Amino acid sequence: MNAIEVRHLSYSFVNGTDALKDISFNVAQEERVGIIGPNGAGKSTLLWHLNGLLPERHLKNPAVTVLGIPVVQANLALVRAKIGLLFQNPDDQLFCPTVWEDVAFGPQQLGKCEPELSTIVNNALNKVGLAGLRGRSTRHLSQGEKHRACLAGVLACEAQILVLDEPTSDLDPRGRREVISLLRGFVQTQIIASHDLEFVVEVCPRVIVIDSGQIVADGATSQILNDEELMLAHGLERPHILRHQHPHQSNNLSNRLNH
Amino acid sequence: MHIPDGFLDGKTAIASAAIATVGLGIAIRHVQQTFSARRVPLIGLAAAFIFAAQMLNFPVAGGTSGHVIGAVLAAVILGPSAAVLVMSSVLILQCLMFADGGITALGANVFNMALVAPFTGYTIYRLVCRVLGGTLRAKLTGIAFASWCSTVIASIACAGELALSGTARWNVVFTAMAGIHAIIGLGEALITSLVIVSVARLRPELLQESAELEAKPAYGQLLAYGLIVVLGLVLFVAPFASAWPDGLEKVAEALGFSGAAMQQAVANSPIPDYQVPGVGSSVISNILAGLLGTLIVFVLSYVLARLLTSKSNSTKSLT
Amino acid sequence: MRLRLDDPYVNRQSIIHRLHAAIKLFAALGIVITTIALPRSAWPAYCVIGIALVVIIALSRLPLTHILKRLALLEPFVLVVALLSLWQRDGVLVFAGLVTKGTISLFTMIILVATTRFSDILRVFWSMRIPNVLVTTMSLMYRYLFLILDEMTRMTRARASRTFSPGRWLTWHTLADVIGHLFVRTSERAERIYAAMCARGWKT
Repeated sequence: MNAIEVRHLSYSFVNGTDALKDISFNVAQEERVGIIGPNGAGKSTLLWHLNGLLPERHLKNPAVTVLGIPVVQANLALVRAKIGLLFQNPDDQLFCPTVWEDVAFGPQQLGKCEPELSTIVNNALNKVGLAGLRGRSTRHLSQGEKHRACLAGVLACEAQILVLDEPTSDLDPRGRREVISLLRGFVQTQIIASHDLEFVVEVCPRVIVIDSGQIVADGATSQILNDEELMLAHGLERPHILRHQHPHQSNNLSNRLNH
Repeated sequence: MHIPDGFLDGKTAIASAAIATVGLGIAIRHVQQTFSARRVPLIGLAAAFIFAAQMLNFPVAGGTSGHVIGAVLAAVILGPSAAVLVMSSVLILQCLMFADGGITALGANVFNMALVAPFTGYTIYRLVCRVLGGTLRAKLTGIAFASWCSTVIASIACAGELALSGTARWNVVFTAMAGIHAIIGLGEALITSLVIVSVARLRPELLQESAELEAKPAYGQLLAYGLIVVLGLVLFVAPFASAWPDGLEKVAEALGFSGAAMQQAVANSPIPDYQVPGVGSSVISNILAGLLGTLIVFVLSYVLARLLTSKSNSTKSLT
Repeated sequence: MRLRLDDPYVNRQSIIHRLHAAIKLFAALGIVITTIALPRSAWPAYCVIGIALVVIIALSRLPLTHILKRLALLEPFVLVVALLSLWQRDGVLVFAGLVTKGTISLFTMIILVATTRFSDILRVFWSMRIPNVLVTTMSLMYRYLFLILDEMTRMTRARASRTFSPGRWLTWHTLADVIGHLFVRTSERAERIYAAMCARGWKT
């Protein structure tokens, strides 16, 4: 069973612009897939669909299936418990006054009570290395800590699939490294939208390129990101980390990075 | 207009707290029953937004500055019930996080700024729209006029509470509060209408949503707020504004003042504002002066709305 | 800005800081009510309360200068309202009584605010059966207040940097535009927060 199946997904905004046009792809369990493309390509819109956050027009004929469950209104609670979505701006996601309360929000909604709740929250905070900050006010965190607190909030929901929107945006190099090593340590299926192509090379063995709401390429990261023509045509560029490699070595590189 | 601790006596504090609690309760029930879950975060953020907007000062005559209250802004954008909730939250947070506004005066402050202001503002706005039609110009006239009226009425309620507590004489506190807020209200009116024009230009659909809310107004709720507000005004203001000396005497006796002192207080105002010469009773002249001022503000509101609508054609989409 | 927003001493450690927020909240309310209920000229009683407050300040290890600075910010409002009381019989006496009561109450509330985090007060509200919608509203407001204020400051600064000859009309227009933009951004943020809440299983 695939973690995610998307079949002929199309979506247009209220004002009539087409955001997604006939998108289809599968993601196997425990796979890590990067989604790249220029600004406004439809990356975030696609991610929101995976979680049923924009389902208005797909209730009759579901285009998205998560772990065999079709994403329809009746299944939303079930699907959202399986998928953890990390939003682009951590401040949108950390809506509770303190770190602990915020991480506890998801499990509480899933009906978890003390003492189980405390165990889950503490485990999640330990995984992202924020155990010492549990009582801290969410607005007194550094940008890196905010990203990690958001991750803890997603992990605490015990999701099997992580969907991450720009997890490294506005992070300093140290914060970025922390996120990279965290993500590479997780066993969950991961779908990651990012402009940070070097990060994508390090974390995702497979990428999907989206432009103007359509999939223009889907395959091994080392191949696609080395295709200078394709990259430039879609507002992207060949990452430096690949430039210093001989094309024949690139497979070794991504193997090395992934194991 | 935040009343600090120590200026309200027991009966006024308790009465206003009771009225405020009932009014807030109605708002909470209404929001719980009719609002979609999508609007819950918006109410919380709107409260933070109103708080932030209150931090911005605008120049008032003579080098002093005032700030918006935002009650009409909240009521027009979110509807009256959400506005009551938003304004109450702002006042509670200001009291318990910044010590701004007394904890024992919280009920009175909530009544004045979170019930009287949004309710009277919203009602006047809807009435003006009803009379002038649903065009943008009518809406802006209504918004400007409602902003001024609600500011002044809220300040009169505040004056009534202070006078009923025996803090100051009615005519002094009334003249001071209503006088200052008649000027501050002009700023409130100008800013509120400019903000609505700005939002209409940036994201007209945000106002569309509130227009949908208006299409099915909850008359029951409005009636309930109306009763609450009228009850409060009758308790706090009517004893003083009453034109019948008998009633005045009774109230004065009930409050422990001597009837003569009260009458004298009303008759010889030490700060003779609000008086049209040639009219015998000062109460009647006060009312006439007030009506004249209100009329002038209404005309000004219309002129402002004309100016704003002729300048920005792009905002037509709002209608 | 009228108030210095973030209280710098609220995270200090002291006996008073460690007290449960509910105890502090109701103690402050009790002190304020007692002060107000006292007769106007009960000077010895005012002195006792004043001394008690100074002891509490010492116990909470708050610098007196900080308390006085906050008092200086808020006291003008007390004085202005109290001034209105001068126009009546025994006005001076009433004025003195009001200023004393107002100042003592303000002292009490400033100590409460400087020793108690609003997030702890919110927790007291949760346990007090105050309706969910109201506490959720206050909780979200508290969480996003500073972000929105920052956004506002950035916008006003950006506007000011491009304002060369400020006239009256422009001042008003700029102010309204900042507030309008702020509202639009706020409601867009509210949409994203709603999505984030739903993504973690929020049901109403």
